[in-house]
Amino acid sequence: MTPPDSLFATLRPWLSALAKRRARLWLGALLMALTLLSALGLLAVSGWFITATGITGLLLAAGVAASLEVYVPGGAIRFFAVSRTVTRYVERIYNHDTVLRLLADLRTQLFAVLAGLDSRTLAKRRASDWLNRLTADIDTLDSLYLRLLAPPAVALVAILLLSGGVAIFVPNAGALLAAGLLLGWLWLTLGQARLGMAASERHVHQLEALRSRTIEQLQGLAELEAYGSLAVHRARLDDIELRLQHDQRTLGRLSALGNALQGWLVSAATLATLWLTAHAWQAGTISGPVMVMLPMAVLAMNEALGALPASFTWLGATKGAAARLNQLNDQQIPVNAEATQSVSSAQTLTLENVSVHYPGALQPALKSLSLTLTPGDRLAVTGASGAGKSTLAALVSRQLSPTTGHITLGGVPLGQWPDDTLRQRVAVLTQQTELLDDSLAANLRLAAPDADDAALWQVLKNVDLAEWANTLPQGLNTRVGEGGRQLSGGQARRVALARLFLRDPDLVLLDEPFAGVDELTAQHLSNFLDAWLAGRSVIYLVHGLNVNAPMPPRITHTLALAG
Amino acid sequence: MAAPSAKSDKDGKNAKSLLNQLAREERRRFGVAVVSGLLAGTLTWVQMGLFAWCVTALLVNSQPLRQLTPLFVLWFLILPLRGLLTYGQETLSQQASLAIRKRLRARLLDHMVALGPVHLSDYHSASLSYQLVEQVEALDGYFARFRVQLWLATLLPLGILFITLSQDWLAALFLALSAPMIPLFMALVGMGAERLNRDQFAAVARLSGHFIDRVRSLTTLQLFGQTAQARASVWAASEGYRTRSMRTLRLAFLSSAVLEFFAAVAIAVVAIYIGFGLLGYIDYGPSDELTLFSGLLILLLAPEFFQPLRSLAQHYHDRAAALGAADSLVNLLAESPPATRTDHASAVAPQAPSTLVALQNANVTHPERGVVLGPVSLALSRGETVILTGASGSGKSTLLQLLAGFVAPGDGERLIAEDFRFAWMDQRPLLIQGTLAENLRLADPNASDEALYQALAQAELSDLVNGLPQGIETSISERGVGLSGGQAQRLALARVFLSQAPLVLLDEPTASLDEHTERAVMQGLETLKREGRTLVIATHHPALKALADRHWHIEHGRLYSVQGEEVRDDSA
Repeated sequence: MTPPDSLFATLRPWLSALAKRRARLWLGALLMALTLLSALGLLAVSGWFITATGITGLLLAAGVAASLEVYVPGGAIRFFAVSRTVTRYVERIYNHDTVLRLLADLRTQLFAVLAGLDSRTLAKRRASDWLNRLTADIDTLDSLYLRLLAPPAVALVAILLLSGGVAIFVPNAGALLAAGLLLGWLWLTLGQARLGMAASERHVHQLEALRSRTIEQLQGLAELEAYGSLAVHRARLDDIELRLQHDQRTLGRLSALGNALQGWLVSAATLATLWLTAHAWQAGTISGPVMVMLPMAVLAMNEALGALPASFTWLGATKGAAARLNQLNDQQIPVNAEATQSVSSAQTLTLENVSVHYPGALQPALKSLSLTLTPGDRLAVTGASGAGKSTLAALVSRQLSPTTGHITLGGVPLGQWPDDTLRQRVAVLTQQTELLDDSLAANLRLAAPDADDAALWQVLKNVDLAEWANTLPQGLNTRVGEGGRQLSGGQARRVALARLFLRDPDLVLLDEPFAGVDELTAQHLSNFLDAWLAGRSVIYLVHGLNVNAPMPPRITHTLALAG
Repeated sequence: MAAPSAKSDKDGKNAKSLLNQLAREERRRFGVAVVSGLLAGTLTWVQMGLFAWCVTALLVNSQPLRQLTPLFVLWFLILPLRGLLTYGQETLSQQASLAIRKRLRARLLDHMVALGPVHLSDYHSASLSYQLVEQVEALDGYFARFRVQLWLATLLPLGILFITLSQDWLAALFLALSAPMIPLFMALVGMGAERLNRDQFAAVARLSGHFIDRVRSLTTLQLFGQTAQARASVWAASEGYRTRSMRTLRLAFLSSAVLEFFAAVAIAVVAIYIGFGLLGYIDYGPSDELTLFSGLLILLLAPEFFQPLRSLAQHYHDRAAALGAADSLVNLLAESPPATRTDHASAVAPQAPSTLVALQNANVTHPERGVVLGPVSLALSRGETVILTGASGSGKSTLLQLLAGFVAPGDGERLIAEDFRFAWMDQRPLLIQGTLAENLRLADPNASDEALYQALAQAELSDLVNGLPQGIETSISERGVGLSGGQAQRLALARVFLSQAPLVLLDEPTASLDEHTERAVMQGLETLKREGRTLVIATHHPALKALADRHWHIEHGRLYSVQGEEVRDDSA
């Protein structure tokens, strides 16, 4: 857990992201204010009009010559009725457009942050529930403006305009309104936020705790039932639910309290205003219609303040979302944009006493590993899963920094390689085949964006997929589905290999290159791979050497990693 | 208490009846909440009445303000009462929602447990837990807000119409003209909201899919130096989504704009009609009876006529979300658990005292695949070790589950000794969030620390635990992060040692393990055998055969002893 940061410090990066759209935000808030003023104007002018006509009517009935100009107020009423509808409609459209623009901004910004994460963090977070929470967090932040920024600002402006307007006619009523409504505004925003902060910030974590207890209960049903521990574990689950519901109850009561206070505030302000304007009318400083108009305008403040309590009671949830996303910035891998030293070939590699110890892990993932690779070497690194093979691949491709020890590539410290050059000179076939939910061609062109169709067909032929691709109605434009689901495991593996063949690296790391590929095809692939690897340095990462699986070609020496 | 349905669609009938059934359990709280809301609404009308009355007294009857002080005081006293009522309405519906969700979650969990591990393996546990957590939470808005608001939106406007009618029937007619439109409004709003919800949901899902797809492939994108291009593609997808969804939003917002428009125009029409009526410009209808009081009252009530509807429109997405969630929960609850699954107590003990568990002509059927196992007759004696082989899908796991009682025999019988208890270990050991000790004590809640250390030693985990500064009190974080797969397997083995259960059922205990763990597990099994426990091991592993007293082989659901003859009844 991070120390409790101040609200502003947590939200600042996101506020400044919103600030890039400053003009739109101001215009959106202005539209909101116009909607509100139309509602206010409609009620106030109607009240004035009815009172004025009522008084004039009485005078006329009493035989007194009186007249009332009805066209301006009548027109004003019609105008406000229409403008309230129109501004509201335009405001909703405009502000939703803004929110969607912010969504695009924030998603892109977040993606840039994620793209800089080290492989350990990425691997740990591949789980889809983490990704779902991440997108939910972004959605929370892109509505920050619509829920937490614009409404209180517009309400504040409305309070000032209203009390200013009232003060022109009845100064003490204006002053009382300003004082009362501003205090109320402070309570409904900051007060509610403060009281609800802890519980609403906890909420996501408690939901997550409940979810993982539920997964435990369901996944471990066999063991729990065998040991008769179902009830014991269920009690743990119930305990978490109890705490979750306790917080929800607290927040619900708090938000109900805020709503009740908000209703009371506006009604009391209306009442007080009528009392003071009645005094002013008796004193003869204002007319009867104005006496009615002012409190009716106050009544319209319900619309300005109504949504504040619920939104601000849950402010902690927004803060929590921002804090989680901020944390991602701490796990960035260093990126070198400029060359600090001239680099040439990446055919040699040395690791000196390299260890990796992940924070929170019980044991180091890699313990003082040393190795040397000279040009043309084909080193096979063996070990069970968890022995550190994938860690080694991540280290060499600079997706992970060693906790201790040094790595040099082509005689230059790995950290000093410019990013672009490193990616060109070192190629990795990861253990897990990652394919985009896109066309076959797009997946291949990840490796070589400028490759023409002929080049793509050539590499497909090299991995024995050209014939199959030819039978597809859409050929290279066939979509591979989410995570390559439309392909078999072996086909996906071969697409990943084909992608590799589009590049021209000095050093190649192959993690279980033939996983999921049948023996006959593996033999064919092995022959081509052997030829393609000529003149390059290679590290094979394999489970073991004496198993039945097809072996990668021409191993020159081996290294066993202990678990 | 059947709530007036806003819009009846043929689909989701079951979802609706589930929601209604859940609401019935909290009938009282909902009832009091609706009454509170109605009373609060009534107090609002009283407030408006006092406003109009005071103004009339001052302007028309020229009463001095001093005489009106009691009315102002009364008015002031009403305000907190109204606050209390709205507070009551909100908190009561929230309490109802909390209670409903708690009960429903408990019901779902019980249902899942009743289905048993065999049925549950058909589901993805992450998506099940999503249903039990998120989808149950998704019902909140419907119960905490929408349901009560639906009543208020129906009843409060009626009351206002009645008051207006008592003052001026023509003004009431203006409102009444829109009264038959209320269902239309609601349908309009509903259609808009539902369509918005559906379209948005689908589009958001697509957009999130695109984003998540790119994030999943980030390692590859990094390795190929393609992250900048992928970022541009995330931007393009979001922008494309924006332009597309703005097209639908423009239409969807129109429906609520219509409601907004009527609300605004009703105020304007009423204001202008009353104004001209008061001036005497209108010489038909009841307008010559209009007073400043009635005029002001009608004007003040006109916005309140539409307010509950506007609130309802705001909460409409709650209904859509709840219906969606209820729909999937209904499907989950519809799966009926096997009738005889939890009958350990009623089972008859086998005749021979040395027999721990026996099956007599037992078979297991699957609704789609037919008979998956059996008929099988066997008896398992105390202290014997049986190895069980067969191709995957042949019924090995089903036999273990049948012995364990996770699945009940369709025909035939399962007989168990009185002291029948068993330990279970499969390829996916359960790791709970908590300390190592808590994970071990799942097998025996009252085990002493010494017993835990001994069990850890027997599972060859001593080295690991002794190297930890906090020993068995070290917490293993969420989903076993911190333990490797092999270590988790050995932890499960330690639980078997700790449990002292006479029967140990093991489903592929050594599959996909590193050599060290595999050795530890094999030695552990030998120790268990020496302790006199009964072992049934389903495995492919050749080395385990040396351990076995007997060897069973399953082919297409039929059980054979290794000699090749079908196992009929070994108890003889």
